Amino acid sequence: MTISRRVFVKAGGLALVSVGFDPLFLARAAYALHRPTVRPSDRPTLVCLFQRGAVDGLNMIVPHGDPLYYRERPRIAVPESDVVDLDGHFGLHPRLAALKPLWENKSLAAIHAIGSPDSTRSHFDAQDYMESGTPGLKATPDGWLNRYCQHDREHKDTPFRAVAFGPQLPRILAGSAPSLAIDDLQAFGLRAPQPAARDRLTRAFEELYAGSATGLLSTSSQEAFEAVQMLKQVSPGQYQPANGADYPRGRFGKAMMQIAQLIKADLGLQLAFADVTGWDTHVNQGSSEGQLAARLADFGQALAAFAQDLGERLREVVVLTMSEFGRTVRENGNSGTDHGHATAMLVLGGPVNGGRMLGRWPGLDPADRFEGRDVAVTTDFRDLFAEILARHLGAKDLAAIFPGFSPDPARFPGAINI
Amino acid sequence: MKQTDSRTVGRSDGARQRARVLAAALILACQSLSPTVRLSAQLSPHDSALHVLNRLAYGPRPGEADRVAADGVMRWIDRQLSPGKIDDGPLAARERRFKILDYDSGELARIYLDAQRERRAQKRAAAADSMTQKPEPGGPLEQRGRRLAGQFQELAVTRAVLSERQLYEVMVDFWANHFNVFFGKGADRFLTPAYIEQTIRPRALGKFADLLVATAQSPAMLFYLDNWESVAPGSTPPQAMRLRARPLFGPRPMFGRPPLFDPGRDPMRADSLRRQALARMPKGINENYARELLELHTLGVDGGYTQQDVIDVARIFTGWSVRRPQQGGDFEFHDWAHDYGEKVVLGVTFPAGNGMDEGVRLLKLLANHPATMHHVSRELCQRFVNDDPPDGCVDDAVAAWKRSDGDIREVLHAIFRSPDFWAPANVRAKIKTPLEFVVSAARAVGADPDTTPRLAQVVARLGEPLYLHVAPDGYPEREDAWVNSGALLDRMNAAVALAAGRLPGVTVSLDSIVPAAQDAERLIAQANAAVLGGTMSEHTKAVIRRQLSDASDPAQARALAVGLAIGGPEFQRQ
Repeated sequence: MTISRRVFVKAGGLALVSVGFDPLFLARAAYALHRPTVRPSDRPTLVCLFQRGAVDGLNMIVPHGDPLYYRERPRIAVPESDVVDLDGHFGLHPRLAALKPLWENKSLAAIHAIGSPDSTRSHFDAQDYMESGTPGLKATPDGWLNRYCQHDREHKDTPFRAVAFGPQLPRILAGSAPSLAIDDLQAFGLRAPQPAARDRLTRAFEELYAGSATGLLSTSSQEAFEAVQMLKQVSPGQYQPANGADYPRGRFGKAMMQIAQLIKADLGLQLAFADVTGWDTHVNQGSSEGQLAARLADFGQALAAFAQDLGERLREVVVLTMSEFGRTVRENGNSGTDHGHATAMLVLGGPVNGGRMLGRWPGLDPADRFEGRDVAVTTDFRDLFAEILARHLGAKDLAAIFPGFSPDPARFPGAINI
Repeated sequence: MKQTDSRTVGRSDGARQRARVLAAALILACQSLSPTVRLSAQLSPHDSALHVLNRLAYGPRPGEADRVAADGVMRWIDRQLSPGKIDDGPLAARERRFKILDYDSGELARIYLDAQRERRAQKRAAAADSMTQKPEPGGPLEQRGRRLAGQFQELAVTRAVLSERQLYEVMVDFWANHFNVFFGKGADRFLTPAYIEQTIRPRALGKFADLLVATAQSPAMLFYLDNWESVAPGSTPPQAMRLRARPLFGPRPMFGRPPLFDPGRDPMRADSLRRQALARMPKGINENYARELLELHTLGVDGGYTQQDVIDVARIFTGWSVRRPQQGGDFEFHDWAHDYGEKVVLGVTFPAGNGMDEGVRLLKLLANHPATMHHVSRELCQRFVNDDPPDGCVDDAVAAWKRSDGDIREVLHAIFRSPDFWAPANVRAKIKTPLEFVVSAARAVGADPDTTPRLAQVVARLGEPLYLHVAPDGYPEREDAWVNSGALLDRMNAAVALAAGRLPGVTVSLDSIVPAAQDAERLIAQANAAVLGGTMSEHTKAVIRRQLSDASDPAQARALAVGLAIGGPEFQRQ
């Protein structure tokens, strides 16, 4: 009999053992008793959201106090009268208005002029660097979220520790520490007309992969079967959001709802990841209305619904948004924007030192821009990521998570309450 | 000899050279002597046949590995490199059932616009009658549009399953990803079919430069990467002149152009509409195509270009546009939009005063630039040899590229003769993409898809909806993009459904391949032969045997045996 290299039953999960008839499962459960246990509700969770395609930070968090913003964007600037003001100088895009209450109750902060020290304007390289956590270095085999899991092994005991919501496991979670990719929680597992047939089929495939699979096929399948077993307790199809939370329809809203569901199911979710696409606005991006506005509305409503749904549990959760780079200060020939440099990110959650703009604003004067055209980077994205890992998740060895970089608390932007 | 061959991959040049000579000798031996001569010391003819059928084709059909082995593996490869000489009559007959092929871009555009009008009318009706508001499934026109789009995706799967020109279909998929467009973006909803049929397919095994120029001038690519609206700053489109010249209000004249706006409308609103229309006119360059042309289509991201190169490439392509894209029009060069100034790209000067010809000149320069040869050859080796392509194989491909002026057939030929291609370490070293998994499974069980998009939907559910990769890099080739917990469970589900004949729209004729039986050993042997070409591990056999021990009826037992074989780990590799 094969014993899994990784076990996941917690003290609180012992009840699961009594309903699992699978001998493999029992073997793992017995193995699990030697593991340290953690009460799941004490665990902080980090949700990372990647705005793939490079969001226009300047129209997301609008520097409405800067006349240059209006001068450079005659067709696409968000009119001052539409901006949802935050601090007199910056404001939210009007379609992000759902987030204003979170700013007011100090659980939302925004940071501008954040980005990579690498100058690439390639989507793919820049995404790669932001996920590997090693700008300029392509050979890094794993992602920084995965490296965090490798270096902080205390939470090893659940297959749901790190979950990416989508059909693919993103680079940020690639690496030797286990992580799941779940496209749809409700459809996760084998399908068969009756539960008995389903369990038998599951067991057959589990045995098949346990003996014949190698490499990535072996580890991924093992993680899948462990997760399937554990998920049986949750009935994912039954979920009702709390507090009247209304998630927007579509992929991203659904991903956010399923993240909330997993957090509340107490399966030990510590790192969640989801993609949100549609930000590469080279043409007709619009201003208060239009293409970008529609994407921001979906984005903002999903975040607001998530916070609403979690209610009290937002205390343990931090949501971090990121995007590979920003877009040109000046609009291009097609009422859109081309690839730029620094962008804006949001940090949301109970532990967040919110209601504040973080980072240092370099201004939009051409002399202060990167290569004369883009918002300059004044905060290395690793300073923000490292702060969140250290202060929210309690990571100790930041230098191992961000090799070649020396994270220094003096440079932390101050996103998390100490 | 055995050892030399397996240890040389990516090691010393001398050893590699030796291995290459050895492989060349073997290939010669194969061609000139009996077809059963071994291609390499380690691979039997049957294994060699399985290997080429897994890489150059979408997996073997029942009995095919034996046929190819008996016939000569190298001979089969050579035939695949000249697809025009392979009879594909049955597929051609099947293609005629795909109505999507009867429409050109203009007709598809009309279908799409009709559907859009219908949707808007429905929305208005729903808004007027908010009591009965419920999510509409889409009217008949919209459904027709969706059906055609689904049919086009299914066509790709059907060709991959049924075509005798397997390598050709593999290369069409390769180029469709290398020169990716997104079927879901605006006009690309109706421009994509012509892009695949008329731009990619006729050039999939020709000269790279021809393919590059054709994609650069394809309406689908011009629209997808926004170049059709990229104009020299300060240029004035003729529409803008017309818009300014045209009477704004008033009665319709007997002759000449009607007024722009209905006089019944609010003049303030009409004026703001006009200003909006003018404001939306292109006013300068768009870098999108220029950047992806250098980064993805040609040089590669480390190909040594700068931001200034990107800008000058964009300037060179100003005016490369589409005649009425919303009506599915063709490529058109807009003289008025072109930047006639001097440009410098990669140190090469493009003197002032040149029009469309400088774009063609640039594309030819890029097509045979050393960085391009290396970048595209590497991608090909990644597709055919290993996720981490060995240098030797890439070098062979580049040498062939140089010799043949970028003839794709010659480059492929070199790859298939490279010792790396035949190295046992590279056999079954790659994981199938969702398309490869679904098509190879369908071929293994002799499935016959109809024109409903059922198989394409399975491919989509496994993470690869065809022509719907949003970003310009196309679907990834590496295994870590495709192997993960959720994806594997989905593959198992698809395998079970296919083996049980539970996929509507797909006729599975298992009876002649794996006849339903109670006899476990016979079932296992036949599933092994059909699905895994006889390579099934003892462990897999044992697991299937255990499962069959309490299967009640023969059909169910067969479905279980075949489903486990297809959904199991061994069939995920190629």
